[in-house]
Amino acid sequence: MLPPPPRRADPRRTFAAAALLAPGVLLLALILVWPFLVMLGMSLRERFPGPIGPSFAKYAEFLTDPYLLNVALRTFSLAATVTLLCAVLGYPIAWFLARSRSRWAHLVFLGTIFPLLVSIVVRTMGWTILLGNEGLVNAALLGLGLVTEPLRLMQGFWSVVLGMVHVLMPFMVLSIAAVLGRIDVAYAEAAATLGATPLRNFLSVTLPLSVQGVAAGSVIVFCLTVGAFITPIWLGRGHVTVMAIAIHEQMVTLVDWPGGAASGILLSLATLLLLGGYGLLLRRWARR
Amino acid sequence: MTARTGRRLLNAYVVAMMVFLALPIAIVIPSAFGEGGDLSFPPRGFSLKWFGAILERPELMAAAANSAAIALVATAVSLVVGTLSAVALRRYSFPGRGALMTLFMAPLVFPAIVLAAAIAMVLAPLGLIRTFQGLVLAHIVVVLPYVVRTVSATLAEIDRAWEEAALTLGASPWQGFRTVTLPLLRPGLVAGATFSLIISFDEFTISLFLVGSGMMTLPIEMYNYAEFSLDPTLAAVSTLLILLTTLAVLAVERTVGLGKQFS
Repeated sequence: MLPPPPRRADPRRTFAAAALLAPGVLLLALILVWPFLVMLGMSLRERFPGPIGPSFAKYAEFLTDPYLLNVALRTFSLAATVTLLCAVLGYPIAWFLARSRSRWAHLVFLGTIFPLLVSIVVRTMGWTILLGNEGLVNAALLGLGLVTEPLRLMQGFWSVVLGMVHVLMPFMVLSIAAVLGRIDVAYAEAAATLGATPLRNFLSVTLPLSVQGVAAGSVIVFCLTVGAFITPIWLGRGHVTVMAIAIHEQMVTLVDWPGGAASGILLSLATLLLLGGYGLLLRRWARR
Repeated sequence: MTARTGRRLLNAYVVAMMVFLALPIAIVIPSAFGEGGDLSFPPRGFSLKWFGAILERPELMAAAANSAAIALVATAVSLVVGTLSAVALRRYSFPGRGALMTLFMAPLVFPAIVLAAAIAMVLAPLGLIRTFQGLVLAHIVVVLPYVVRTVSATLAEIDRAWEEAALTLGASPWQGFRTVTLPLLRPGLVAGATFSLIISFDEFTISLFLVGSGMMTLPIEMYNYAEFSLDPTLAAVSTLLILLTTLAVLAVERTVGLGKQFS
């Protein structure tokens, strides 16, 4: 992604770059790196306030607690489901944005990024109005006589999936569209000339070439789902406990900071490992 | 399937997805104008009373003022710091440049809840929980990547020959930056500042452990309010937020073009 270095490094320019970067790096060191280290230290305590440790008690507690393991499993299946749905549902929109010469393309682009900029609380409340017991969907179903009493559409895993897909789809669409826009159409045209059907052409030429965009979008969507709090708690109505809710519980309700820290570190590590494996898998598939 | 039917299918699909993306946002607006005290749809009657009701909720007003002030200060700081960093990352070569770029983008993908908890653990012993300064610090980390990204994307578009011409004509590097590069950077700065303002104003998770009585942000106050009663006052606040966002997006679109900032 970075352009080739513009010039040979010379000490004076290196010094200038260091001076320009100093405030940014200092800020990130203080509010990103240092907190992460403090959290790591906190996770190695048995209790807080208390001796500094190191002890792996909180990690052992997490890994033997069926409730927390279940929450972790639910979090990652939610993230995987949301990522997959965003990729499948978002790909055609990205295709439209990158390839269509329609005069509506710019409007579709605005329609894609606008939700991204509307407050997440507003969007989640919109789903409440749509899916609630007296919401639009139930009103329509009752009006059409399809059901006799309101369906409980909220408070399930799938209502959270719906809300998260809605929130995160724009990230996926923009990532895929950016890569699709850079692919030379000549490849697909060559394949078509050589007799490839449109489907085969897509599967063996365009899709592998655009896999970078799907990968980048997946990483963003997956990470944002893993760390999400408001959509699961609001649309799940307390029935879909994910890691973010569990960490909030540990930190605020139980005031167990070492426990919350251990959960946080494990969540970051697991996310990193899963994404690493996913990256390897995609690279192998694209090279095939 | 002919190419033409394929294209029609794609168009129909895109329209359906646009409806999916717009519906939960659009549906909030009519709900703010109903007469009934609940958020049912379709709303009954027509009334503007829920907009008046916002004024009778001092906690919502105070939270909105806090969020606006936090967004302004966090944006101002990250605009300066982010621009300096973007210039260094784009215009200079030095060892570890790629790693630094990753560090600057890291807050975008780091699980938000973990970052929130970690920042709270650092700020708590310093007495910065439930303070304006604490929230500003946390929000800077969240918006900085957006500023660095938009500014460095614009920098990549600027032909270096302009800057080099200024230097050849005897300008100092600072003069060259201030009189040539900075004016050319304007689109990136406008877009970066707008996104940063919106993202900070809407930020929920990062503020979660840092707010408390006396120092609330609007999204969290709205969430607390909804827990307690889901009445159209919130729909009215949301309608105003949607209006603000629309105006901001249109302003960026008119002045610098949104498409450039995302491609």
